[in-house]
Amino acid sequence: MIGRLERLLNLVIALRETRVPLTAGDVRERVAGYDQPDGEAFRRTFERDKADLRALGVPVTTAPVDRWDDRVGYRIDPAAYDLPPVRLEPDELAALALALQATGLVDEAGAGLRKLAVDAELALPDDPAAPLLAGPARAPAPIEVELDAPHRAALMQAQLTRTRVRFPYRPTGRPAAARLVDPHALVLRGGRWYLVGHDHDRGERRAFRLDRIAGEVHTVGEPWAFAPPAVPVDVDDVVPPAPAEGPRRATVLADPAVAWRVAGRATGGGEPAGDDRTRFSVPVGDPDAFVTWALEFGPDLEVTDPPELRARLVDRARAALAAARPAGAP
Amino acid sequence: MTTVRTLQRLERILVMVPWLLEHPGVPVDEVTTRFGVTRRELERDLDVLGYCGLPGYGGGDLVETAVVGDRVTVRLAEFFRRPLTLSLREALTLLLAARALAGVPGVAESASLRRAQVKLQTTLGAEPRLSIDLSTPGDERLPLLRAAVEQRRVVHLRYRSRSKEETTERDVEPWAVVGAEGAWYLQGWCRLARGPRDFRLDRVEEAVLTGEDAGPVPAAPPPAPAYQPRPGDVEVVLALDPAAWWLPERLVVDAVEDVDGVRLVRLRTGSLEWLARLVLSLAPAVRVVQPATLAARVGDLAAATLERHAG
Repeated sequence: MIGRLERLLNLVIALRETRVPLTAGDVRERVAGYDQPDGEAFRRTFERDKADLRALGVPVTTAPVDRWDDRVGYRIDPAAYDLPPVRLEPDELAALALALQATGLVDEAGAGLRKLAVDAELALPDDPAAPLLAGPARAPAPIEVELDAPHRAALMQAQLTRTRVRFPYRPTGRPAAARLVDPHALVLRGGRWYLVGHDHDRGERRAFRLDRIAGEVHTVGEPWAFAPPAVPVDVDDVVPPAPAEGPRRATVLADPAVAWRVAGRATGGGEPAGDDRTRFSVPVGDPDAFVTWALEFGPDLEVTDPPELRARLVDRARAALAAARPAGAP
Repeated sequence: MTTVRTLQRLERILVMVPWLLEHPGVPVDEVTTRFGVTRRELERDLDVLGYCGLPGYGGGDLVETAVVGDRVTVRLAEFFRRPLTLSLREALTLLLAARALAGVPGVAESASLRRAQVKLQTTLGAEPRLSIDLSTPGDERLPLLRAAVEQRRVVHLRYRSRSKEETTERDVEPWAVVGAEGAWYLQGWCRLARGPRDFRLDRVEEAVLTGEDAGPVPAAPPPAPAYQPRPGDVEVVLALDPAAWWLPERLVVDAVEDVDGVRLVRLRTGSLEWLARLVLSLAPAVRVVQPATLAARVGDLAAATLERHAG
């Protein structure tokens, strides 16, 4: 009996070299390895092989056998199969290898790098790209960036081919609901991935956090279904706009131990406040977010101005105290 | 599973054959090094290939493979003249990796990486819209710490710990700089703690490169910074208002459940101080259900904060 590897290779060759699409019957009759005794076993084998080849990226297409015959056949278009001449120089290949390694995407795209390497003249065995070409084994990289997120690869593909997508989305504190979206861009900010796109249900551009997609992402209809966005997408699209009202700056006093951390958020350097603390001026976006930030320092930070932010912080600290020491408790 | 191995072998053969056609009579060693296979694996692949070809499978239809002496030759495989094309997913992922690395704050711009991106984009025929913003507080320290990792030099840190809110001075043998979940970390061997530690860059008050050699990086890469439960950790239950329902997504939690209209999250922590400050900062949307020691610490912090703001 012929092994699976041999059968798959023969199928690729036969489908690639045929002038007319081969029907399932043709494949069973002509291609080595498809001599399963009963039709059902053949059908299952052939279906699985086609699916595996497609998963590897082999472009197996379906087409009518010819104009006068409405039976469906299969073939591989050589023009779609062949890697176009990309011609990466060894240093470019090495740079990509490092990028894959640093981003932890070797498993996802290492095979792609190996394809590109066919055209490159590497100085083996010492070429910097060599260890990655050889296999998925991983040496520690001097720098690492985590880029993985659920659905990222599928959404990038939909964005590139302008394919509409549908997915269940779960906003904070509300149940999940289906959304239909034209994907315009993917944005990574603050360690989170967002899809920015036209939300058909809301009739406007929205940002969706990938980790709040509560299920599968399905493509809807054909690629190239919509025009690219007229307004380019910006990373700021994923951040809610600052409220129009409310104080824009706050004055805070920081204890010595945390002064340098507060300085990272403050505008300009701080100034000595008389005691051993430092006075800073800190920009305020959303007032609640500001109070959350200030409370993380606990007693090491005092908000002196404006009074309404100080009052808001005091209210929240009182609520924390009341919850932590219920009335009647010691 | 044999299936996965078979597909990996198929993928390898579809890449290897075009190269062998291009390099007739290439030494076996060069093939094994380049494609990361043993001589035996190579011979088995070539053996299978020798039975493949055009339907008919007669003389002239089959691929010819030969290992003569120490040299490999493959003939009559014109259909595999080119490797299988890049899948859209592979091309996009390569481009994403390149963009991300180029976007790391403080990474010297690499002309090679830029040229590679242009070529990939040309292959794709369209420009994927990706915005990658890797900037976070503390990233101004990246160049120095990267240099420390690359030059294998011990770094002296002045560090404000998250778990105890205390400032310490320590020497660290650096292993890697890692970006994860929106923060940058220095990973390495901490001589003060005598163990491997992750240091969040936004908590590094001061970093100085010493002249001391840091020794080699361990062969097994350290795992990405994330909470790992330890024996001795405290079990905590927090009650969340809807405004804080996002919290479990940011922490490593054991369970989230709704009991009598209240959302409860169960987690373990090695640092009550850090968690107490988190609860205080999110009050009143987050409350401590247990343990009492955590509630007491939140109460003390809240009382001290109120004292600061008295009058």
